[in-house]
Parts: sequence; structure tokens; C-alpha cells
Amino acid sequence: MTSTSVEEPAGYYGAPVLKAPVWTWEVPLYFFVGGTAGMSAVIALSSLALHASVQIARTALWIAALGAALSPVLLAKDLGRPARFYNMLRVFKRRSPMSVGAWLLVLFGAFTLPALALLESLSWLARAGIGTSHATGLLVVLLAGAAISGCLLATYTGVLLGATVIPAWFLHRRFLPMHFGVASLGSAASLLLLAGHDARPLRALLLATASTELLLGVLLETGRHGKADRALRRGLAGWALRAAALATGPAALACALQHWFVPAAVAFLGGALLARYGWIWAGRASARDPEAVFAAEEL
Amino acid sequence: MPGLGTSFGRGGATTAQQDLQNADCILIQGSSMAEAHPVGFRWVVKAKERGATVIHVDPRFSRTSALADIWVPIRAGADIVFVGALIRHVIENELFFRDYVVNFTNAPVILREDFRDTEELDGLFSGWDAEARRYDPSSWQYEGDDPSRPTKDPSLSHPRSVFQVLRRHFARYTPELVERAAGISPDLFQRVADALTAASGPDKTAAICYAVGWTQHSKGVQIIRAAAILQLLLGNIGRPGGGILALRGHASIQGSTDIPTLYDILPGYLQMPRAGTDEERLAGYLEKHRKPAGLWTSLPSYVVSLLKAYYGKAATPENDFGFGLLPRVARDHSHFSYFNEMMDGRVEGLFVIGQNPAVGGQHSRFERKALARLRWLVVRDLVEIETANFWYDSPEVRRGELATSDIETEVFLMPAASHVEKEGAFTNTQRMLQWREKAIHPPEDARSEAWFMHQLARRLKQKAEASGDTRDAALRALDWWYPEDEQGEPDMHAVLEEINGYRVAPLEGGAHHGERVAGFDQLSADGSTACGCWIYSGVYGPDGKNRALAREPAGPYGHGWGYAWPSDRRILYNRASARPDGAPWSERKKLVWWDEAAQRWTGHDVPDFQAQKPPSFVPRPGATGLDALRGDGPFVLHEDGLGWLFVPRGLKDGPLPVHYEPLESIIENPVYAQDKNPAVNWYARPENPFAATADPRFPHVLTTYRLTEHHTAGGMSRFLSRLAELQPELFVELSPELAAEQAIVNGDWVTLVTLRGAVEARALVTRRLRPLVIQGRTVHQLAIPFHWGSAGPVRGDVANDLIPFSGEPNVNIHESKALTCGLVKGRRPPDADFVAWFEALTRAGHGDR
Amino acid sequence: MAIGDGTRSPNQARHDFVAKQVRVGFFTDPSLCIGCKACEVACKEWNGVPEDGCRFTGNSYDNTGQLGASTWRHVKFLENDEPLGWSFFSDVCKHCEVAGCLEACPTGAILRNEVGAVYVQDDVCNGCGYCVVSCPFGVIDRRPEPQPGAGGAYKCTLCYDRQIAGLTPACAKACPTESIAFGPLDELREKAKARAKELQARGLTSVRVYDPQHGSVRGTHAIFLTLGDPRRLGLPRRPQAPTSYLASAWAAALFTAALAVAGTFAAFAMALP
Repeated sequence: MTSTSVEEPAGYYGAPVLKAPVWTWEVPLYFFVGGTAGMSAVIALSSLALHASVQIARTALWIAALGAALSPVLLAKDLGRPARFYNMLRVFKRRSPMSVGAWLLVLFGAFTLPALALLESLSWLARAGIGTSHATGLLVVLLAGAAISGCLLATYTGVLLGATVIPAWFLHRRFLPMHFGVASLGSAASLLLLAGHDARPLRALLLATASTELLLGVLLETGRHGKADRALRRGLAGWALRAAALATGPAALACALQHWFVPAAVAFLGGALLARYGWIWAGRASARDPEAVFAAEEL
Repeated sequence: MPGLGTSFGRGGATTAQQDLQNADCILIQGSSMAEAHPVGFRWVVKAKERGATVIHVDPRFSRTSALADIWVPIRAGADIVFVGALIRHVIENELFFRDYVVNFTNAPVILREDFRDTEELDGLFSGWDAEARRYDPSSWQYEGDDPSRPTKDPSLSHPRSVFQVLRRHFARYTPELVERAAGISPDLFQRVADALTAASGPDKTAAICYAVGWTQHSKGVQIIRAAAILQLLLGNIGRPGGGILALRGHASIQGSTDIPTLYDILPGYLQMPRAGTDEERLAGYLEKHRKPAGLWTSLPSYVVSLLKAYYGKAATPENDFGFGLLPRVARDHSHFSYFNEMMDGRVEGLFVIGQNPAVGGQHSRFERKALARLRWLVVRDLVEIETANFWYDSPEVRRGELATSDIETEVFLMPAASHVEKEGAFTNTQRMLQWREKAIHPPEDARSEAWFMHQLARRLKQKAEASGDTRDAALRALDWWYPEDEQGEPDMHAVLEEINGYRVAPLEGGAHHGERVAGFDQLSADGSTACGCWIYSGVYGPDGKNRALAREPAGPYGHGWGYAWPSDRRILYNRASARPDGAPWSERKKLVWWDEAAQRWTGHDVPDFQAQKPPSFVPRPGATGLDALRGDGPFVLHEDGLGWLFVPRGLKDGPLPVHYEPLESIIENPVYAQDKNPAVNWYARPENPFAATADPRFPHVLTTYRLTEHHTAGGMSRFLSRLAELQPELFVELSPELAAEQAIVNGDWVTLVTLRGAVEARALVTRRLRPLVIQGRTVHQLAIPFHWGSAGPVRGDVANDLIPFSGEPNVNIHESKALTCGLVKGRRPPDADFVAWFEALTRAGHGDR
Repeated sequence: MAIGDGTRSPNQARHDFVAKQVRVGFFTDPSLCIGCKACEVACKEWNGVPEDGCRFTGNSYDNTGQLGASTWRHVKFLENDEPLGWSFFSDVCKHCEVAGCLEACPTGAILRNEVGAVYVQDDVCNGCGYCVVSCPFGVIDRRPEPQPGAGGAYKCTLCYDRQIAGLTPACAKACPTESIAFGPLDELREKAKARAKELQARGLTSVRVYDPQHGSVRGTHAIFLTLGDPRRLGLPRRPQAPTSYLASAWAAALFTAALAVAGTFAAFAMALP
């Protein structure tokens, strides 16, 4: 094999330079579930603190709490040694996005679940004659904690992927947190709309996130890095990412503009979930692409 | 082995692997040393780092070639053409080391008038008996009556001097012949010649390394002879960084010819007596083999001491020390001979110990079928190798050629201990004995070879005592005294003691024998000493130190680590590292020299010479033994003390190397009318056909080789995942040109075909194999490793299915390194259809032998 | 060199680097490598690394494929057509100065030991797989079923257990030509520089020391010589530890989070009557 030959495979017999991610279906699902739950807590806080719509806040908090409970299960299942999931809390490493995320999840759960319990028992307390102002105050504090940890929970997963050696990922390390965050917010709003809360703020959020997704999609499509991130445009990953972008962007937006909020919400949710899978699949393909690795380091 | 033995005196490497670092040039041919001797190859790498030129001559560009300075692609089987041309180059251009050649070799010796060379008889020497297929070597002898004092012409100009005979013999081995017959360009030949000759002389030396790529030919011994001639002419034998390193196998192959498992020699390279000759009596035997001068003068003491070791008290002067109890060689009893007998139903039982002939034997299809004719078979190994399970799972069973229900062989598979589970010594390629201590007990029923032989001997002895049959006299006479431990393992130190030798008379009442001897010069022929192997004597001296176990090296040659026979000399014939007057040839290449003040030889190695014999010594008339050798004759096993460029006796196929074509070849001999080695044993039988020259069905040259990752027939490597995963499948290396001709892509399945068998393998297309132009035609060469078989976790076809068996005239070794084959794209048919397909493919051959 | 000197070579002699906390490493010099794979086998034997596939690849003599959870030394075979040559390169974990795997590990299983090697504590690792996507050389991986110890991440330990006992790593001990040299890292770096110069003087002008000190990896404890473009060996020219991407990624994350909160508040505030 000469090094000047054009048709020779890149690198060492075309072998991957990197290792592909070993994560299975639970991880992208967690991105979706955790992210939606996190932003749902933001909605719950806003709704309670400003709108005084307890119904929205209640549903949103349920979503957040269910997500908070489901997420660790999903993550533990994906571990190579699930029985040792608690080792995630042995240390805190700020330079490890996964360590930060593990602790964020713990915090989120620590705020969300008591918040839900408190909210559910508010009516009981009221009937029992206990002053609700203190309870509501505490609820707002808990929700604030949930919202702060929640909004970071929704965006940190972008950092998790972006701060790796996979070209398709690290070349989009600013894009991914934004995309995942926006998709999470829109997913939370969509879920609430589908749950029957046809409220103006939620519609506004769906409209805003769909518009932002459209903008982000255009930026991604135009900001290509050639060979270095071609995994985003090839194969299964390429189809998934494009379909997802269409769903969360133009499709959801068009429906929302027509006031067809149910289809808009469904499209957005479907796209947001598919996008997570698409990015993981793209990561696998990118890791196995030696030409991409070499192209990326020339950028 | 006889190549080196006849040229220099002893059948073993003349140097040590470590000494290669002192070479100025190293020629590796008939070996891929980096692959087969990777640890020893470190010394070649060190030599290279010190500025030596490393040359690798091989049909394939191997891992050795990768680290060589010059790779010479050669047609397999053309080695004598190449080395012969180097000899011619050295002679014609006067590049030989004159002082060395005149004084230390038989170059000046005058030969008999009736000697005729191959130049005169078109490929034969005088004395050939075509009917008996045998040479009478009388015409090859020196002129005169006393071979220890031959007539010499120091000017090297006498027409019947060995030198002039040598010159005429190789006159036609020109660079042009090398190009035509070996496929090597004159430029490349010149590069090699220049590198070698530049590294020759008083202050430079070159070494040659070879292995089975030279021995496994129908003229293997003569190829080595050619190297010996070259090294003698260049003055490299007995000098640091020089010599010939015969690269022998790791698991004590050297040891298994020193204390032989060969049928025709006794320990220490004594000959086995031959039936129907005067050798049947001790006196006749000694008369035949004893030499008046040199170390062989003491033959009687070696032989009698061996007999005393065997038979103890039963060996007395009255009964010729039991000489009559030794078996006699009646004819060829070698491997192929008895496998032939086996196939014909004339062998009842076989022990196969640490060997796997079902995979490693040539013409393995034949061998597997022959095993089925035995009544009983004992296999000792670490795993269930193909030789043990041929009866239910061989290719022959799968192909319907053998049916398990018809096979009556009773197979006993006995588990063997591994090398860390037993105690004893290995003798490595540089004649060094290294003792191994036992690290752990073998598991369950696994036992060492020593245990097996010891227990078998005890039982056979018991039966012999009971039988009273005359035929069992030898067994009854055996002195089997070795103490054993609670597991029944014999005390290997006791065995080593006996190998070393001791005085027979016991020191005190209860002991078996007296004190150990310090060396073979203390052995006597009167029955007062016993010695299991005279060349090892000294390993376990009277000071009680087992020198094979010593691990404290000191000095440049590592004395104090292990024990190199003979007498711990690391470089043989090292007297030749000094001038005839005893001073070193140069400061740079000092090894052993005469210390005038101390009146003894001294230096960096144990002198391979009588320590106190001055360089000026001239023997008195009538002197015998070492006293009959001059002070400037380094080759002390030869009665003339000289290195033999021309070998007057000892070889069955000629006193000088001759290029003969391999038994299957793509061309006829370009040099002589005599195409093949006339004395080779063809083992002619219908199942062993050879393709005629240039048979169009088999147009390619095939050679076999081994991979570092596997060990011989695979019993110790294919069954071990760590090694098996490194090379999991059988492959064949071929050039891109050949691949293109047949539209073969790297990784495709291909099938190799010969008249003996067909094997499928993965194609490894590489530029490391290249077509050669031979006699104006493009010839392709293929190379295939031979490690795979039908058993174990990684399986493959058996490459040895392709190769016929044949016997080189001197040692009966097969020719596996050069044959012809056909190449077919695609897999062979499945086993059910194989036989019919193969027979159709190979039927109607024109002029098959 | 006298016979027996080899027993005193740094590859063979006993040492006390762990007690003295000396930074050690490997210097692998392919110009001395004969492609024998003793390093692969010695490593597997000592560390009990399981078999990871009996596959014929057709890639010269390399049927091992790549480093991974069950291959910690991997000899690469490169055949060159013009001029004809065959080079062998024993690859290993680089034990980076700034190690992506170590930084990424959320359980603290991966640490740097006394001799500066990057070491995975198998009894802590829960197999999250984040180290796998953090190694710029594609070394560490999670061992799949059904191999023994499946679920955890594995890589070269620089034979930590042997070093604690004063022994040298198995691969260095077994290497017949000392192509793999073990010893204090500073000495190896000097040795590599000198060797590169020597080989360049002999005509191998494209020889370089592979020890990426200028990127975020900041140098490795396993250094090599490469002949020609390292990419032919599947080695990146400018490997980066992904911690260098953290700042920009977190900035985007924090910005988005803040914007999301603000935006949600705005959406609910504007709907207030």
C-alpha cells in the first residue's frame, strides 16, 4: 500500500481511529425524558409564580417528577455494571460533564419530588386549616431549585456529547446544548398542550421554540464541516436528523401558525425524541470514520 | 548436521547467537530468523546497530528481510547456485583470506589422480554406481597413505590441489547463471558479494545463519557444505563474529541429536553398528570408525563408557561390554521408511511423543492413512492433537477415505507435562545445556517424558526378567538404577550424572558408582568409567556444580551461564582465531591466543585445543590422538587438523556441493545433465507421485515456512487462544502479479493443488512475494505456513498434504522448501466431494514419477 | 556488550519507581521491532486479558485489529511498496499527561498513580462508557458480553501490579529487541530524541518522535517514533483532550438555560391580564 494512492483506505487499513459510543437506547431516551422534565419544572415555576395557574403548574410538576424518577432508571440500565450506579456519587468532578450531570439529576430529583409531594398535599393542608402561604413559599423555593437544576439538566446533555473526541459532536459543541435545551422546552410545552392545557403561554412557547429550532436547523445545514461531520448527513443518522429537524422546525411552526396546536405538539415531540437518537447514531458513525477524524483536526 | 560435521568436525553450530553482535556482516539464508528465532535475532539487531550489514536471502520478504539491509529474492531450491557463485567470486577475484586458507584448510591438499569432478562427468563424481545408486568414495581420498599427513601445495596452484579442484568445480557458477537459474540480478549479486568480502580478513568477520530453509531439501546437507566452504575461504570459522550458526529448534532439537532420538547414531554422534558387517563385533566397529589422529582416536573410551552406562555390571570385557546387545542398523529405519512399512501393515505399534505427524509429517494424507494401519498407537501430548483423533475426525474420515468402524488402531492418549512442570535440560541451538527446574507439579495424570520412559522401562525390564527369552537380554542387562520420587519421577540429576560420566567403582558400599569425571579426556576403554554422552562430559563435574544450572555469566562469552558442549567452548575451532604462530589475527578480532610466558592458550573463550600445545608443535611419527595433530591445526576432530573445503569421506552425495534441481521443479538443471541429486531416496510408490519437470498443471514454485505466532504442527499454539487469535486462519502469500492473472483479490479463498493433495487457504496478496525470471520465463512463487489441522479451536487444511516425502541421502530429511503447485481460485469442494474431484484433477499426468 | 548485561537492562532489572514516585513510561521504537507480537501475548498472559476474536483480516499479519478492552498491546503491520519495506509498530495506551478518559470518568475509577500512569480501578468502574468517547486515540473501551469482566472499561495498566512489586511491565520484559523500552519518562524522552536524530542521520528523514506535547493532551507517557505520516498508523496528528472543549460548550449550555428560563417567564408574564 503506497501512501500516495488515491483509492487506498484512510488511516490504518481504514480502521477506526476512535471508539464508538457504547450507549444503548436508554441514553437518548433519557436525554429526551430528562430534558423535557427539566424544562417542565421551569414551566411549573413560571406558571405558579406568575400566572397563578395551579393546574398547569401541577401537571408540569408531575411531568418533572415522573421524569426525575424515570431518568436514573434509564441511566442505570445502560451502565455496564448497573449495580454500581451509586458510584456516580463517589466524587464530584466539574471537568466531567457526566459527573456534573449525575449530580444535577440528583439535585433535580431532590427538589422535584418533595415539591410534587408538597403541591399535592396543599389542598389537604388547606382543608386541615394549615396556613398555605408558608407552604406556597416553600413550594416556590423548591420549584426554583427544580427549575435551575432542570434547565441545566436539559442543556448539559449537549455538553456531554460536545466535550468528547467524536468529530460530529465536538464540532457542534455550542450547537448541541442550545438545540437540546430548546427542544426540551418545546417538548415540555407540547406535552402540556396535549394534556389539555390550551393556554396562551404554552402556545407562545411552542411557537418560539419551533421558530428557534428552524433557525438552528438552518444554521446546522449551512455550517457544514465537510468530511469532518459528514456522519450527520449520511445513512440512518442523516435521515433521522433531517426528519427530526423538519419536525421540530418547519412542520411544528407551520402547524402552530395555523393554530393547529395538537399536530404541532405531536410533530415537535416526535422530532425532539428522534433528534436525540439521530445524534447518537451520528456519533457512532463519526467515531468509525477515520477520514472524519483526520479532517476534523485540520480545521 | 553432517554438513557442518564433515566440514569442521562437529555437527553443531560453530558459534553462539550472542556472538552475532560481533559480526561485520551477517548472511541469513534458509531461515527467517526474526520469525523463527526472535529472541536470538536481537543479536542481529545489535550487530546492525553497530554497523554490520545484514543480508537476507529468501523467496519471501519476511519479518527478517524487514530489518535486513539487503533482501535477495531467490528461487526456492537454487541456493547452491547462489552460494556457489559467491565461492567462485571469492576464488576468481582472490578475495579469500589466503593465510587462513593455506594453513587451516585442506585447500593445499593434493587429491588422488583418479578423482573426477562433476565438470567432467556432467553432474556426477567419480565412483558412482548407478545400479546400487551409491558412490564409492575411494577416488575422493587424499593422495598418499596417511590422511593425517597429506601432501600439500601451499602455493595452491597444483592442478590436483583441493583449491584448484574447487575452482574448476564452481567455474560455471557465474553471476549470469545466478540470474538465469535463481532469478537474482547481477547487480544484487554483486552487492552481496561485496558486503561479504569486505567483511573478511584479519580484522573483519562475517557470519552465516541458516535453518530448515536449507536443510529441508533433497540436497540440504550440500547447501550447508557450500556455506562451510565459503566461510572457510573467507576465514570466518572459529573467529568472533564469524562462523556458521545452525539455527535449530527451541525444544532441544540440538539435544535430540546429541543424545539422539535418531535411529542411526548413538549419543555423542557415535555411529550405530551396521548389521552384516564387521561392525557387529566391538573390535570391528572400533577398527572401522577409530581415527589415528584427533579426538576420534579415543573412540574406544567413548564407546565402552557408553556401554557401561547402558549395561552397568552386565557390561564386561569378556562380553565386549555388551556391545552385542545394541541394535544393528539393517537398512533405512527413518521416519518415512517406517511410515511406508506402516502403510503396508508391517508395523504394529507406534509411540508418538511431542510430535504431530498427522499435520507435521510430509504427505500428511498418507501419514494419516498409515496411522490407521497400526494395531496400537500411544500419543503423549498436552492436548488431543490430530495424530490422536485421526480415527474419528480427520479429513480422511470426513472425506470417506477412512471409516472409523474399519480402523482397528487402539489409541492411547496420555497427558504430558508442560515445560514448567518437569525438570531437566534443554540443549539449544548453540550447543548450550540449560537446566530447567520444575516450577509446579503437572495436573492430575499428566506426566513428564522422563516419568513415562522410566516407568515404561521398569515394566519392560520386569517382563524381560520373567520371560528369560534371549531376545530380551538387552532389557535385562539395562542398568536402570535411577532413584525415583513419590510420584515415580526419576531423579534427573542422577541421569545428568550418568550423562556426564563417573567412575564405575562405588565410593562406599551403598552407592551405585564412584565420583564423577571432569571431562571426556578422563574416560577410559577398560570399563572403569561410564558416560552417557561423551560430548556432554564436564557438565556435572566432580565439584558437584550442575553447570547447566549455573546462571552467573561473566566475561564476554557468558561463561558461568549454562554449559556449552564441548567443555564449555562457546566458539568452536577457536584456535583459528589466532595465526599459525599463535598471535591473534588482529586486536579487533582477538578471541583465543597463545600466551608464550604462561605456555598455554588463553583468551575470552575456553580454547578448543589442547591447552598447553604450542603453536609450533609438530607431532612425532607414530603419535596418536590429539598428539598426532599439529599446533596449527584447529579442526581437532579431523585427523589432518584442517577445515575441509573438500570432504573426502562422510557424505553420500559427493565431496563438494553440486546444484541439483528440487525433485519437483519448473526447469531442468541448467548446469548439468544430471538433473536431481542422484543419491536421493524417492520412496517410490504409487501414493507418492512427483510431478514431471514443467508439468503445466503445476507451474508455480511453492515453499513452506513457519510463523512466529504458531509452533510447528500447531499442537501448542492452535489450542491456545492467545496465540490462535494472532493467526487464526491458514493463508498463502502470493504476488499481486499472480493474483491479477487469476483475478484473485486479497482475502479471497484459493486452493493449492499438487499430485499429493489440495488445500484451501485465504489469499494474502502482497508485494513481498514477487515473480522471478528464470531461464527467460516469468515464474511465480507462493509461500504457505504449515501450522493448521482439523482439531482445536482454530482449524484449517493441512499444508503438508501437498508435499511428497523423500529422503536426502545423508540424513533422510524431506524436501519441503521447494516444490511445484497449481493455484485455483475459490475453495476446494466440500469433504464429501473432495476425493472424486481431486482424482479427476490429478489423473492423466504426463510422465509423473 | 557482554553476555549477561541484558539482565541489568532497565527492561529487566528490578526497580523502586513506585516507592520513589518516579514518572515512568514506554518508548516504543519501531526501527527495532521485528513484529513478533511477544508484547501482545505477554500482556494478555500477565493481565489475564480474554480472547477478543479469531478473525482473519487480510491486513498483512495484523489479525488483532485495534487496541480495545481486550487488547492492550497491538502490533501494527505496514507494508510499503516503493521502496519495498515492512514496518512494525507496537501500539499501546498513551497514558496522556492530560488524559481524556481520566477527566471524563464520573466515578473517579480512573486515576493517575504514583508513577504517572493512567489506571482504571476495575472495582469502582460502573461501565458508564464516557471514557470511551473521551480518548483521542481510541484506546479504552467497555468490555462486551460474554467476556469475563464484561461491563467495565479496560486498558493498559502499565502493569501497575508488577511495578508495585518492583518488576517491569510484561511487554517490555518480553520484547526481544528492546523495541519497547521502559523506564523513567525523562530518560525515555531524551532517548527518543537521540534515536530520532540518529535515524535521520542514517537517511530516514521522516522519522519523528510522537509525543504530542503541543496540544491539550500535553504530552504522553508512552512515546513512539513514527516513520512518515502518523495517520498511516491510525494515529491522529493533533490529538486533543476533550476538556479543551468544555468552556465553549458550557457557555452555550448556560446561555440557553438562562434564555429558556427568561423566555418562559416572559411567556407567562405576557399572558397575565
